[in-house]
Amino acid sequence: MTHALGVSGSYPMVVALWLLPLAGAVICWVFGPQLRSIAGWLGSGLVGASFVLAALSWGAGTQRAGGLVGADQPMFSWMPGFDFGLLLDPLSLLWTFIITGVGLLIVFYSIGYMEGDRAFARFFAYMSFFVFAMLTLVLSDNFIGLLVGWGLVGLASYFLIGFWFERPTAVAAARKAFVINVVGDVGMMFAIFVIVTHVHSIGFGDAFAATGSLSAGLLFTICLALFIGAAAKSAQVPLHTWLPDAMEGPTPVSALIHAATMVTAGVYLIARCAPFWSASHEAQLLVGSVGAVTALVGAILGTAQWDIKRILAYSTMSQIGYMIMGVGVGAYEAGIAQFFTHAFFKAQLFLGAGLVIHALSNEQDIRRMGGLWKKMPFAFWVMLTGVLSICGIPGFSGFFSKDEVIYGALQHGHPWLDAIGVITAGITAYYMFRLLFIAFLGEYRGDAHIHTGGPRAWIMNVPVAILVLPTVAIGGALLFGGDASPWAHFFGPLFAAQEHVAGSVNRAPALSENLTALLVLVVVAIGIVIAWQRYASDAAQRDATARLERETASMPAILTNLFYFDAVIDAIFVRPAQFLGTFFGRIFDPRVIDGAVREVVYVTRSLGTLVRSFQTGLLRAYALILVFGVACFIAYYAVVGVTR
Amino acid sequence: MALVLVSILLPIAAAALLLLLPRPSISPRTSSIARIVGTVVAAITVATVLAGGTSDWSVRWLSRPFAAAFHFGATPVSFWIALLLTICTTCAIAVCRTPRARDFVALLLALEGTMLGLFLARDLLVFALFWDLMLVPVFFALLRWGEHPATAWRYFIYNFAGGLTLLLATAAFGIIYGSTDVIGSGGAPLVGAWAPWIYAGFAVAFLVKTPVWPVHTWMPPTYSGLPAPMVAVVSAVQSKAGLYGFIVIALTLLPAYVHEYGVQLMVLGSISLIYGAVIALVQSDVKRIVAYSSLSHLGLIIIAVASGNRLALSGALVYIVAHGLFSAALFLLLGFIEEREETRALLRLGGLGWANPRLAGALCIAALAALGLPGLAGFAGELVILIGVYQAGYIWPVIVALVAIVLASAYVLRLYQDVMNGPSREDLPVRLDLTWLEGLAVAPLLAALVVVGVYPKPILTAGDIPAAPSVSQR
Repeated sequence: MTHALGVSGSYPMVVALWLLPLAGAVICWVFGPQLRSIAGWLGSGLVGASFVLAALSWGAGTQRAGGLVGADQPMFSWMPGFDFGLLLDPLSLLWTFIITGVGLLIVFYSIGYMEGDRAFARFFAYMSFFVFAMLTLVLSDNFIGLLVGWGLVGLASYFLIGFWFERPTAVAAARKAFVINVVGDVGMMFAIFVIVTHVHSIGFGDAFAATGSLSAGLLFTICLALFIGAAAKSAQVPLHTWLPDAMEGPTPVSALIHAATMVTAGVYLIARCAPFWSASHEAQLLVGSVGAVTALVGAILGTAQWDIKRILAYSTMSQIGYMIMGVGVGAYEAGIAQFFTHAFFKAQLFLGAGLVIHALSNEQDIRRMGGLWKKMPFAFWVMLTGVLSICGIPGFSGFFSKDEVIYGALQHGHPWLDAIGVITAGITAYYMFRLLFIAFLGEYRGDAHIHTGGPRAWIMNVPVAILVLPTVAIGGALLFGGDASPWAHFFGPLFAAQEHVAGSVNRAPALSENLTALLVLVVVAIGIVIAWQRYASDAAQRDATARLERETASMPAILTNLFYFDAVIDAIFVRPAQFLGTFFGRIFDPRVIDGAVREVVYVTRSLGTLVRSFQTGLLRAYALILVFGVACFIAYYAVVGVTR
Repeated sequence: MALVLVSILLPIAAAALLLLLPRPSISPRTSSIARIVGTVVAAITVATVLAGGTSDWSVRWLSRPFAAAFHFGATPVSFWIALLLTICTTCAIAVCRTPRARDFVALLLALEGTMLGLFLARDLLVFALFWDLMLVPVFFALLRWGEHPATAWRYFIYNFAGGLTLLLATAAFGIIYGSTDVIGSGGAPLVGAWAPWIYAGFAVAFLVKTPVWPVHTWMPPTYSGLPAPMVAVVSAVQSKAGLYGFIVIALTLLPAYVHEYGVQLMVLGSISLIYGAVIALVQSDVKRIVAYSSLSHLGLIIIAVASGNRLALSGALVYIVAHGLFSAALFLLLGFIEEREETRALLRLGGLGWANPRLAGALCIAALAALGLPGLAGFAGELVILIGVYQAGYIWPVIVALVAIVLASAYVLRLYQDVMNGPSREDLPVRLDLTWLEGLAVAPLLAALVVVGVYPKPILTAGDIPAAPSVSQR
């Protein structure tokens, strides 16, 4: 008996929207040298076509019939229990919209950003491949399909981080990202072993239907193993160290993969497996706590960075921490809302940073920026709206989603996580305004020539301008109104059951929501004021260069070493493995194992030299003797054997 | 004459003819004729294996002291391995540019014929006979083209010793069982006082051949010493002889002992998995990295065998095919690189990606399959094996295997990136990118990796996978 999550049927549009980007990837990869600049238009065109098909599939994705929500398209089967198919329900529909919609804007932007790169077509092949892989991840209706998408987005991320592969730092960052993501993959594989063993199916529907029959220990094991995958992909402590390094990739890659979509796959996974999480309070506590810690650690490290992309990378890590905390504690709609608004404002921040980096000939250090608001007003306004949104200034999209997540923690009975969320909001405001003030206010401190404009500037400006709209307004439009909001209506049928199971909703009094929001606003204001004092006030502006140098020099070691995560991982895992490899290869194999058969080796050595002297020209003789001998042997037994 | 016999005899006859040609055959023209003839012959064997299907051929050989027959025919398991073997050989011969290609092609054809004999044999005694015969071409190739004759002798002595225990076990089996015409015919298992010893004889041969820690030390020098086209075939297919033996012989005829000593087998497989992986992490010779990765990867199949679980064994067959495809592709491609850059040292290589995009793309796909990228064949095999092993109740080998998968991603990426990525090196000769012929030779292997990865159903459901009854109940 198989349980589907969606209404089973034939949905050619869903299949088409899934495969179109793959076609784009293959064409750009194979015919890259011939396509040249057409590759960019082809890539964005096919992602755009995917977006249109997703919009046309709205009806299929939101349909309801007898407890089922969405559309399920069976594809093929490996063997009984291993059935593959595509599932388009509100959750995957939302992700599909972001992947193809924000993806379209970013791929289009890349036509301008990557102009003149010697591997222009290859870039669009990888970007299209990423979109295909990410769609595989969110559209699969089973765990193995999910894992295939999971692995393929990791591959796309590897390709794009290491896109400029003549740079050793990019190559190392790509390898690190891939290996850490494989740690996550094997975690998910373990979860699949447990699920298939106990449920005898890889389908989501079958697995969730069987939740009640799984023991608490098993459920916790499954959640823990899945969460290893989520933590690696979504840069949760301690598997986050690859994300800042991933900024070695071109900026549009950081915007699409390492901010808007791929790194939120962990959020998707937990929301998708909500029935498991809601059934395991230990898992909820663990995941919620890890999310909160990640939010805090990312924010603290964000305050100590000078590279504009690395600041944004740590802020991404921190914001995903919020999302994971939200879905972890059971506030699924809030966590997803944070993903949704974050996809817009973080993509906008990265693309805005890309405008700056592009204009400054790849300068990324904010200490060598400054005063850019006069020279690049468009980029300044883009960054400003993005910063206001991420800080949760009332009215902007980020305000609604962040508020829901922080309050969600309280609502589900985790006041401590709520407190961490509030503190993190203040730190976030500090480091984001720090970035904005240092880079855009005061006097220009760099030596790179600023070149803006040009006839093709619109290719990069238009996508960014389009993103401003949702960054400012979509939160208010969709999230305002609590249980009566369009958001609650959209996801209501999906998570209603889990909210019931959890049974812990609304433990907190109604007043506390406004109180939390007020508290957040106060700490955000404090953060902004401190940033203003340190970087934007007249006193700070006067000798900005010297002050920034002093700050660089006096940065605590624990922050410049990023809490020593890399060093500890290196000491515990990397070095011992290399030591063992050297020991086994250089000592154990030749000395211990071969030492035990040394006599034999001596014999063979002497035989070897003996034979070498005979061997020249004798190969044919050997062969003849051998063939003859075998022939005799066979003939003898053939004759004797048959006649007996 | 049955097609199955044609598959076996054709390459052997072609090899003999090539070897018996008169001496002035060293000229480049004879070399290319030998290559073309060899490729055609190998391609014909692909067709005969495909067309042969369940074709069966048998002639009575012995009736005393036990019944034996020259009995050949493909079982569903051996069909896939034979197909893998013939495809790999065709690809390998098509691109061999070894000096004195005539002798080399002859040895490759002889290797193909003897291995087809082994995998298509339905009689244990014939199996044991071909077991020793298939060592001969590799041995001569090592003597002739290897770096040190000791490598050849080490290869021969290790594997011949295994062959000897195999022969003794086969003889004992025949005498007790009454017949050796037993492969894939679904006979009753052998029991009795001698059975454990017979199992031990088989197991020693199979473990040495695979190889498994600690009897693996013949393998890295053999793999790095053999010319690329031959090591492609040896690592792709010859290394599967022992695993094939475990699946169709040990698990069918002596299942109780596979089960009884399952934990020991699993320990050896697990040690091989980790041991091979950590050594591959620090090796500096590209061929040795792949050699040690083979030790690691095949340890996984040993674990699958030891679990005796039906799902694990189905996955093992997929993984046998997958490993054959990607190790053949890797060795062929690394051979191309060695030819072009005149070195195999990882430290000397680097930055080849810009000048050789096609070579880089092909190596990338093969490398990704080797590290078990979801969507490619290696992953499908690994996943199904480990689901089966977990189902059989063995959790620690599963965790060991997962650790090895992480290590695999590290050493495979190190191999790929240190060859292809990084700044271009001035001191490396700049040569032509992958040629059409070379591309055509690796394309079937890479395409098969994708196809099997997405749709392994035909191999997964090959059908006659045995499972120790006492284990599969778990």
